[in-house]
Amino acid sequence: MRTLSKETILKLYKDMLLVRDFEQQLEQVHKRGLIPGLLHTGVGQEATFAALAYALEKTDCFFPDHRSHGICLLAGSPGEKLMAEILGKANGVCGGRGGSMHLADPSVGNFGGNVVEGSMMATVLGPALAWKMRGEKRVAAVIIGDGTVGRGEFNESLHLASIWKLPVFYCLVNNQYAISTHVTEAHPTANLSELVTGYRIATGQVDGNDIVAATQAALDAVDYIRSGKGAFFLEFHTYRWAGIFSGEIRDPEEVRMWKEDKDPIRRARTLILTEGMAQESELVETETSVKKQVSQWLEYAIQSPAPDAATALDYVYANMEVLGRWEEKQQFNR
Amino acid sequence: MGRKTTVQSLNEALHLVMEAHPEVYCLGEDIGKMGGDFSVTRGLYAKFGAERVRDTPLSESAIIGAAVGSAMVGMRPVAEIMIADFTSTCYDQIVNNAAKMYYMFNGQFKAPIVIRTATGGGFGGGPHHSQSVEGWFMNVPGLVIVAPSNPYDAKGLLISSILDDNPILFLEHKGLYALKGEVPDEFYTVPIGQAAVTRPGKDITVVTSMKMVHEALAAAETLAGEGIELEVIDLRTLRPWDQKTVLDSVRKTKRAIVAMEAPRTGGPASEVSAVISEMLFSTLVAPVQRIGALDAPIPMAPVLENAILPERRDIIKAAQELMAYR
Ligand SMILES: Cc1ncc(C[n+]2csc(CCOP(=O)(O)OP(=O)(O)O)c2C)c(N)n1
Ligand SMILES: [Mg+2]
Repeated sequence: MRTLSKETILKLYKDMLLVRDFEQQLEQVHKRGLIPGLLHTGVGQEATFAALAYALEKTDCFFPDHRSHGICLLAGSPGEKLMAEILGKANGVCGGRGGSMHLADPSVGNFGGNVVEGSMMATVLGPALAWKMRGEKRVAAVIIGDGTVGRGEFNESLHLASIWKLPVFYCLVNNQYAISTHVTEAHPTANLSELVTGYRIATGQVDGNDIVAATQAALDAVDYIRSGKGAFFLEFHTYRWAGIFSGEIRDPEEVRMWKEDKDPIRRARTLILTEGMAQESELVETETSVKKQVSQWLEYAIQSPAPDAATALDYVYANMEVLGRWEEKQQFNR
Repeated sequence: MGRKTTVQSLNEALHLVMEAHPEVYCLGEDIGKMGGDFSVTRGLYAKFGAERVRDTPLSESAIIGAAVGSAMVGMRPVAEIMIADFTSTCYDQIVNNAAKMYYMFNGQFKAPIVIRTATGGGFGGGPHHSQSVEGWFMNVPGLVIVAPSNPYDAKGLLISSILDDNPILFLEHKGLYALKGEVPDEFYTVPIGQAAVTRPGKDITVVTSMKMVHEALAAAETLAGEGIELEVIDLRTLRPWDQKTVLDSVRKTKRAIVAMEAPRTGGPASEVSAVISEMLFSTLVAPVQRIGALDAPIPMAPVLENAILPERRDIIKAAQELMAYR
């Protein structure tokens, strides 16, 4: 297990703040109707995302899910381009075609969100396989929620990753709920990594709200995978503050406990102050500067132009020649 | 040059492309040592090894997922789904992942994969081994569907497909695997998206594909004796299909039959027929006729199967009816 330096912990603290502000400011504009579609935030799960982003290299890849804005941001995509995408703007990372659930940016290893939840467990095998065949020591990560372990792809993916010894990093964000369904209601065990054992893939579980433990666990997993031993399945136990539908019913005491006692940012802040890694005033300064930074990104996104309707048919085919003999040219009726 | 079966010509295509392009690899069930259920991958394992000719368990979704993911980092995978009916088990990976990727991510990722699969009935395979799945895939933007009818096209189209940047569903009709034809030994391509006029004629255009091309040619032979000339068009690519060749032909003949093995409802015959009717309504002297499988699963017993699948007599009857219009 690696020990984390003071600088690293302070960086991770700032990373978590960035993610929280990023998402909470988005929640605000979503309420104002500035986001055309859906928005699923990972507020409460920042330590998990910060840990993952820290552990992965730029030459690795990850497939984010619907709630992974945090890792997309911390991987290094410009915050304003991510926000522009989420607001459906022309200068978003996908030109407004994808939105919050399909953020992609190959320059930082973000291989794009696919929100047929869990299907990316199949896709992640691909870069892992290619890199293994080409002798490149890179790690292919996929972020999945507790709900997705019910998918057939969960089994197919573990199966192939195991027999082919692929460098896949399964990052399970067990936030206890899939929409309204609690893990204990939907799965044979609440420790979902237990399901993996039969596949002979290494597993681990960690408190996903403990930034130090989560980062160490993620680093260990990445080291293991990069050393050529095969895949690793790491389960982060965490909790999401936000729901998917307003109809989700939660026990108020449960919510209070996770928001107050177990909030990863509060916990990190207490750790930093009690261990004397920084003064309170320094933390306040960081907190203020992060807020300002995120507000600037948001302002950029809000001011950005909408895509041009005339580009709606661009990028349907990677090689347009195949369409050369269509007579019935697709028309814009509006 | 020499007479080769479709299986041999497809096999040659794979050998040639894999020799020339190290980024091409194959994956699927029993494609390695055994050389594939239909022998299309024969000899590849011995030549290129287990890394590039990968046997998989029955994990269709993971096969296509892995193919797509590896294509995102520069590989050109050729995945075999043993039987077209089984594409339902990886449908999501094909339609939501492969076909949408380039668009969804604004051109940042491509998914140049080829999915080879054995399609079609006529051999007593029963409801899960005989289906024509074209209709399942016809309305998927971003996907290309290639469907050769003869050994020459099969080789050239497979080479083109592997080197194309789009995700491609490559349909191999089981009833054509043993068909022989002249096939050059060397590397050549046949363009995707271009139909072939297989037999010229002035009276009725018959738009068709795969095995039905041969039924149409047989029908044309019979009808020639009655003084009716069919112009047979082999689409070769079902999506996006060659509207120019088809519409030019119908402008001349003013009558059209679309004959496909897939069920008529919601299938390629409906699509082609709709476009002809929409674009050439005032040119047509008769309604476009669709020929396809009847709307039922494909039964096993030959008598039942023959009752469901379309064949030359359906084309002959439709042609005779069309000539009654003046
Ligand atoms: C295959 C599929 N089924 C259903 C849905 C609808 N859906 C969206 S999120 C979700 C729950 C996902 O729960 P989980 O994986 O635990 O992720 P979380 O939202 O808790 O982060 C469902 C059912 C979907 N997007 N994809
Ligand atoms: Mg969940």
